[in-house]
Amino acid sequence: MQKIEAVIQPSKLDAVKDALVEAGISGITIFEARGHGRQKGHTEFYRGREYAVDLLPKIKLELVVTDEMKEKAIDAIIGAARTGRIGDGKIFVSKIDEAIRIRNDERGEIAL
Amino acid sequence: MTSSNGDDGGDGGVNPTSGATARGEYERRMVEIRRGFELSGDGLRAATARAALVDDLVMRFWNQEVKADPELAVGVAVTAIGGFGRAHLFPYSDVDLFFCVEKSSEKLAKESIRRVSQSLWDCGLQVSLTTRLPGECERLDPVNPEFGLALLDLRKIGGDEAVFAKLRDKSVARLRSKDAKAIGVALAELTRERHAKYGDTLFHLEPNIKDCPGGLRDANVCHWLKGLRGEPGAGSEGFAEAIAFLAAVRCFLHYRHERDDNALDWQAQDAAAQRRIGLTGTSQDRVDAAYWMRAYFRHARVVERCLLREAAGAGLKVESKSVVRRVRAPERAGFLLRDGLLELKPTSASGVDAAHEPEIVLAAFAAVAETGARLSYASEERIANAIPVLSANLEEGPGLWRQLSAILRGERAGVALRAMHTLGVLDVIVPEFHGIDALVIRDAYHRYTVDEHTFVLIDTLHGLAADPGTDAPDWRVKFGSMIRELQNPGLLYLAALMHDTGKGRATEHHAVESARMAQSVLDRLDMDAYDAGLVMRLIETHLEMSAALRRDIFDAETVRAFVGKVQTHESLRMLTLFTYADVAAVNPDALTPWKAENLWRLWMATANQLDRNVDEERVHARVSGGAIGGGWRKDEKIARVLALVDGKQAEAEHFLEGFPERYVRTRSPETMRQHFEMTQHFAEEPFQVAFQHGAKQAGSTMSEITLVTQDRPRLFAGMAAALAAWGMNVVTADAFANEAGVVVDSFRFTDTFRTLELNESERERFVSSVRDLVAGRSSVEKLLSGRRRGKRKPPRMVVETKIEFDGTASSHSTLLQVIAQDIPGLLRAISATVSGKGYNVEVALVDTEGETAIDVFYLTSDGERLSGEQERDLGEALLSAIEENSQ
Repeated sequence: MQKIEAVIQPSKLDAVKDALVEAGISGITIFEARGHGRQKGHTEFYRGREYAVDLLPKIKLELVVTDEMKEKAIDAIIGAARTGRIGDGKIFVSKIDEAIRIRNDERGEIAL
Repeated sequence: MTSSNGDDGGDGGVNPTSGATARGEYERRMVEIRRGFELSGDGLRAATARAALVDDLVMRFWNQEVKADPELAVGVAVTAIGGFGRAHLFPYSDVDLFFCVEKSSEKLAKESIRRVSQSLWDCGLQVSLTTRLPGECERLDPVNPEFGLALLDLRKIGGDEAVFAKLRDKSVARLRSKDAKAIGVALAELTRERHAKYGDTLFHLEPNIKDCPGGLRDANVCHWLKGLRGEPGAGSEGFAEAIAFLAAVRCFLHYRHERDDNALDWQAQDAAAQRRIGLTGTSQDRVDAAYWMRAYFRHARVVERCLLREAAGAGLKVESKSVVRRVRAPERAGFLLRDGLLELKPTSASGVDAAHEPEIVLAAFAAVAETGARLSYASEERIANAIPVLSANLEEGPGLWRQLSAILRGERAGVALRAMHTLGVLDVIVPEFHGIDALVIRDAYHRYTVDEHTFVLIDTLHGLAADPGTDAPDWRVKFGSMIRELQNPGLLYLAALMHDTGKGRATEHHAVESARMAQSVLDRLDMDAYDAGLVMRLIETHLEMSAALRRDIFDAETVRAFVGKVQTHESLRMLTLFTYADVAAVNPDALTPWKAENLWRLWMATANQLDRNVDEERVHARVSGGAIGGGWRKDEKIARVLALVDGKQAEAEHFLEGFPERYVRTRSPETMRQHFEMTQHFAEEPFQVAFQHGAKQAGSTMSEITLVTQDRPRLFAGMAAALAAWGMNVVTADAFANEAGVVVDSFRFTDTFRTLELNESERERFVSSVRDLVAGRSSVEKLLSGRRRGKRKPPRMVVETKIEFDGTASSHSTLLQVIAQDIPGLLRAISATVSGKGYNVEVALVDTEGETAIDVFYLTSDGERLSGEQERDLGEALLSAIEENSQ
């Protein structure tokens, strides 16, 4: 099993969700996040006052999939979230040792 | 089973010869009780039957212990407390069993009590067991007040009569007499905590029918408070019906969930509606879930009102937000305010029942909205009974809007509106609201019914106006100042009240339907076109900002598209505040700081962009197409104007051709028709002026004057000078010209010296004076020489003057933006300087944000953009003129 964490633009959330569902993945966890990588913040002005936007709004997704579904999920995220501009986000993948469904104690891939 | 030590041979319903037999017998009887409930639907009867069954079971086990050791017959009372004590034991409720033991029997009884408890658990009962000495029951334990409260429902099951008498007549009697006050306080505190957990409202989409406000727990609190006051009794008929309904629902839920789970989720609502749970009458017709939930909310309201009444009678506060501002009612108000209660006087000044006078009743609700006071129960009864008379006596029009606006603007408007809604007064004024009464619309995010969501939204807006504290983030501070600086906040609150009324009708686009319904309200209130337009646009576009937030808010195209929806700073401010409160009112966790910050950034980006493209985007009436803001399509809105000008469609199209789109988007079809009609009278008077005095309108002292004429130099400056000379303070203004050179200049202003308000005859002279001045029939200097200057208050916030030119905003004109301290005469100083330099104002957009004036002009010099040299020269001249005006 693999955990996929993706940091994406908030505006791409609906598209990414749809793409994952289409790829056969329905279980995701979503976090509202702030941050920046190479896409640094910027400064905005309003009525002569300066406001620094150093941390940009982002959405972080987490999903755990079977090994076979990993590439499908990654492709779905990339396909939906990519604009080609700085700030599109990143995907991190890591191994998961165990998954347990709390309701009935099912374990392993069946619990996903 | 540990207590299978013989059969006592009793004649009760359960024969516990062995553990298995006892359990089997108990389960058989429980099946009978369930069958009885399914046949009769009587939840109270089922709960009472189970209590009797458990009584039997407890005594069988206890009698076996006594039989084994006869010494246990003395010194131990077997009692029921809590819900079991009230003999209302719902199918899966805990059994609150209390053994009151004399000191001398304590040791002897210990093991027997444990065995009884074990036997009951083995039968499948959830037993909450307590063992205490009689003397330990005399005072309320502040650490465990729940036990003291449970003792209020003490009931004997069996055991030593003398011990029970001692417990009841001495210990519990002392508890009631000595700690009555402490019990009341503990009850109130526990109730407040519980209500706060449920957002202080009973109107949940999936309520917990035991713990939510208006639930069975509140019914118990009523019962305890009555008992503490020495007035035990069944309560009103409505209260008894409510208890019967809730009991039936609780039984149903227990059987459905097969545990003590009292959450009325959507699936349970469907099933309960299908089986008509709790509904009386002989009809077997199926009802839908929405209808059934309304019945639930009606009963829960009865319980809540009873609780508030009992708590008020005991001098207790059970609402977490119950701070009442102390305000004296005016002498002639028709009501009195005392100790947080508002009491209607028996009769009005004219000798009529005060509850029959809409003016008095609405003024009373305005006082409730201002102070947070509650109506006395007698007054509530009188108003509820007077609804038909109030409806017949109600006069619609600006007077009604003035009163409604006063209620909506009150800091505690939510308290007043909820009371008006419950008593039926809101339906009298806004019958359109009735469709969303206790309406459940299922979605995964909303927590409240549609009407309650509306009230929470209004509460949230008022909460924004409160001091945010020193550590508040920028967005919270800005939103707070934004709402405090609104020129006419009543419009925002009215839009909030109406924004979801469309959900009461079967429609895919509730925003459009809500606006349609609001239109009839606005017509009845006879609201002026500008204000009505703002309200309508806000309702129609109330989902647009949330939609924009789902896009890339840092993308210029997203911002530009959103600019097209809002059009003016005033609309943007209102929509931003509205969106903030609308999201917050979905559920307590919906408005995260992340969302609020994004909202703030979108507002800032939009505000910065708002006036940048006005000169470029022009109306082409003859080749209409594409979408226009506020839910209208361009062709629809223009078609409406054309439909209003009977037989003059070609002339009207010619009139509309070439105006900036903002003109069309911010005016109603009727207003544009009026402007067109004014052009039809140029032959008699080339300077057409329309004036509307603000005193006619509620919640606003803003007047409006509009000039329609053929374009010529210095028109805008002339208008600004005329208004300055009359002491008028311009708050917003715009000036637009069409392709044929017809200008429409509109100014909204406050009357600094109340000249026009106090001297009605002066209004005509004012209009003539403005007309003469712009026509060049009188001199600006002459008027200004007689100008009266008021003593200026020092500003609360100093605004530094900023002048900015943008040569890229338009293909043929230069954008000038001036940000400066808003003081009288500022617009005149700016526009006179611009005209003095010989530049033409193509478009003007004047706005005020608190103490900041934001004036935007699109200027041309001989039909061209200004050169760099001209910009520098004008900038310096403007700085001098603004400085001079501020002296």
